[in-house]
Amino acid sequence: MLEKLSLDGKSIVITGGGTGLGREMSLAMARAGADLAIASRRLGPIEEVADRVRELGRKAITVSTDVTDSSQVDSLIERSLAEFGKIDVLINNAGIVRGQGAIPLWDITDEDWRVGMDTNITGSLYCSRAVSRHMVDRGRGKIINVSSGFGLRGGRDNFMYTCAKGAVLQLTRTLATSLGRYGITSTCIVPGFIPTEGTREDRMNLPAGRFIPLGRVGDPPEIGATAVFLASDASDYMNGEMIHVDGGALAGGYAPTGYAPEIELVS
Amino acid sequence: MPIPAEWNLTGKAALITADSRGWTPYLAAALAEAGADVAIAGAEDSDMRDAAAAVEREGRRALAIPTDVTNAAQVGAAVDSVLSELGKIDILVNNARVEFGKPFLDVTEDEWQRVMQFNVRSVFNFCQAVGKHMLGQGRGRVINMNSGLALRGLWNSTAACASHGAVHQLTSALALEWARSNIRVCGIGAGWMTTDEPDPDAQPDLLDRYLPSRRRGHPKDLCGLLVYLASDADDFVTGQTVFIDGGALAHG
Repeated sequence: MLEKLSLDGKSIVITGGGTGLGREMSLAMARAGADLAIASRRLGPIEEVADRVRELGRKAITVSTDVTDSSQVDSLIERSLAEFGKIDVLINNAGIVRGQGAIPLWDITDEDWRVGMDTNITGSLYCSRAVSRHMVDRGRGKIINVSSGFGLRGGRDNFMYTCAKGAVLQLTRTLATSLGRYGITSTCIVPGFIPTEGTREDRMNLPAGRFIPLGRVGDPPEIGATAVFLASDASDYMNGEMIHVDGGALAGGYAPTGYAPEIELVS
Repeated sequence: MPIPAEWNLTGKAALITADSRGWTPYLAAALAEAGADVAIAGAEDSDMRDAAAAVEREGRRALAIPTDVTNAAQVGAAVDSVLSELGKIDILVNNARVEFGKPFLDVTEDEWQRVMQFNVRSVFNFCQAVGKHMLGQGRGRVINMNSGLALRGLWNSTAACASHGAVHQLTSALALEWARSNIRVCGIGAGWMTTDEPDPDAQPDLLDRYLPSRRRGHPKDLCGLLVYLASDADDFVTGQTVFIDGGALAHG
């Protein structure tokens, strides 16, 4: 059972793998035994993560990639295949967190919309498309997308982010229904509020934690375990489905926690 | 083989409920293989004894406790005996379930009651009895085995669908209540299942061909998710029923 959760011998491509949750997923998967091709627009952060991966005894390459440019995405997959000979798992993690921040509807420019949608959904389609032929030829593979709680609920003045993250869920389902017959599965991680800036102590005391049933925000390593599970053979029958890593927020709504109106039992 | 330590269930005690579907031996064996001792509660003619044997084959301690899972007093006694034998319960798996198909107008009151008692009341019974203990020890994992029928309908299955929907919502609401007591409550929503071993030579039938993963699920397919949710690997997941169905719900 536990052997199935090991990623020993697997080669994994992750986009946006140098910072934030992507960094946590990269390190968790390397600890579980995976070799990694780590992509990001900026090389600095992914080179630091690659060094850490090599310290863990795994192989790592870094590929500077803008996922909104399909020719760069194609080169990322080619370089990864040249290095590892196969790709077992693709993690579509690159995205702009919350787009360019809150913008009232009437102030959104055509360019704002295009950039927000390109990074958060188009890039995931490009990467999935680029790796699909290889995975179909092998008759196996896993594509893991990263959505958000904002893919399942509205967010005030956050049009690009919520629309694109909702589209990520539909990409997951349509990849599942289209590629399942070739032995390829597609799943989705739905992170809640898991900040990665600042010290752990500061984060665990953020006021936002009061709005999450657990009473705290997420700790970055908690997203790593989800990535390891979904990348592993232990999740082979999971297809087109998602895991919320959100401290129970979607189960009760992002609302004041512990709130319950007095209800008398009527007979 | 590199396996992060937090996945390991060594030293943990689990309690799982049994029924007549034949899933319990696989689920119990997975918990045992990951290191847990496992108690199994269920009817004498359920798959409880097979599950206990499967746990022992993994070299872990097994306890089979004959229990009417719909009877609160018997469930209370079963939980007490697990606590006196194993000392604690870290993981509760509400697996017991019964299903039948019948046009709605033909469903008798007794049949409706039987499904609600076995599928919903049993979860209530075990969550109350084990929950008291988990709240006392300040930690715990509850996993309710469920079905895609928690979210969508099926012909001639009103009672089963209603019971799965009820457990789905019990899972969400109880997760909120116990979130700050360090007890995680999650569900596993299975798709179309079979306990037959896969036969690579068999012609896929219409349902197999409809499913994106091109085959029905087997209880073994649920074991990885069960260990993930039962372990300490991820403390930030609660209140969700995670579906593992070969793409059935994605297809719609």
